[in-house]
Amino acid sequence: MKRSGPLFTLLAGLLLALFLLSLNATTGTRPTASGGEPPTTKVSPNPTPSPTGTGAGTGGSPSPDPSTTGTPPPNADYAGRTDDDSSAVAVSLRDGRAIAYFCDGRDQESWLKGDIEDDGSLKLTGRGGGELNGTLKGDRVRGTVDIGGKEYGFTADKAVKPSGLYRATATVRGAEVDGGWIVLRDGSQVGILKRDGRPSAAPEIDPGSGAVTIDGERLTVRPVTP
Amino acid sequence: MTVDPNAATQGFPSPPSAPDRPGAARYLVPALVACAVAVGLGAYGTVHDPAGTAFNLAGFSSTGAVKSWLATASFGFAVVQLVSALMVYGRLPGPSWAGALHRWSGRVAFLTAVPVAVHCLYALGYQTYEPRVLWHSLLGCFFFGVFSAKMLLLRSERLPGWLLPIVGGLVFAALTVVWLTSALWFFRTFGVTT
Repeated sequence: MKRSGPLFTLLAGLLLALFLLSLNATTGTRPTASGGEPPTTKVSPNPTPSPTGTGAGTGGSPSPDPSTTGTPPPNADYAGRTDDDSSAVAVSLRDGRAIAYFCDGRDQESWLKGDIEDDGSLKLTGRGGGELNGTLKGDRVRGTVDIGGKEYGFTADKAVKPSGLYRATATVRGAEVDGGWIVLRDGSQVGILKRDGRPSAAPEIDPGSGAVTIDGERLTVRPVTP
Repeated sequence: MTVDPNAATQGFPSPPSAPDRPGAARYLVPALVACAVAVGLGAYGTVHDPAGTAFNLAGFSSTGAVKSWLATASFGFAVVQLVSALMVYGRLPGPSWAGALHRWSGRVAFLTAVPVAVHCLYALGYQTYEPRVLWHSLLGCFFFGVFSAKMLLLRSERLPGWLLPIVGGLVFAALTVVWLTSALWFFRTFGVTT
């Protein structure tokens, strides 16, 4: 006698897995962040909702030479260090728009926004006169950041999760906290946490879950998109 | 989970009943299937660009909580597995329906673990950036491989008496470590939350 019960068990598991996978594939493309790893506490999202919040799949295969195509460069994230190794820079591209974060991990940071041209050139501006000029070529962005009267050259390579650019904003113990993190490819993190506008080094985030504990309260950081 | 394993299986065509395989194939086929499943899951987790997100269940604060509770339920049934297996083998006094209990708690444990694994592989992928995550990824794939082998071995007659307990023990041990490195970690990090 051949027992077929175990086979049915396996097949049921397989079917269930395929069913859930198709559910994911069909619901995962919606821009709403209804699923996913929603914040465990009140973490207000970045002001601009992303049109391709879960567009990680589209960023996976960039066309090798953006300058020859007439479409904006593919959605992707880039992260790297400045040439003097003092700070980190991350750039996130979505549908021709770009947001960048410059951060020295201690007291100097800037969020910069703008557009990326079809030829891969970037010109982003931040509050307080910060400016980023760069060029996307192949799998890296090279350029300069002008901030605080200094010019930093930087190179940012294509970032694959969990490396990338993250942010969390919330109210913790009556203070407005606003943290930005750049997770580099080697796993190191550069981040600044501002409490009511006062910057300090940010606690490490868990790159897998995005969890971070700030002043005893657990927050979840979210990937930043323009 | 609202999946009734029994209902889900009723529609299947009965599998082609292979003729009695000669000795080696009885072990080779489950072993090869186990390798294929484990390596296949790992390869998918590596190749698939992690979406970072997937469906969530209503009433839970995060998919991490959903997964942790599902995994804990699965682990709970796995403990039932261990106890009922000891009953089946006569090492513990047990009721006559210990065998049925073992079969059905195993099915429920497996089907409860499947959504967790799907979410892991779809949203997070095979990751190695710290020991906990590496072991979880590795043993998560191993678990489904060795479980497949166990199911296929059950179909064979006249196995050496020690084989099923060993393979079943591997399944249980793998699930235990997978649970320790995920759900227990989650509860310890975030608190026992829904």
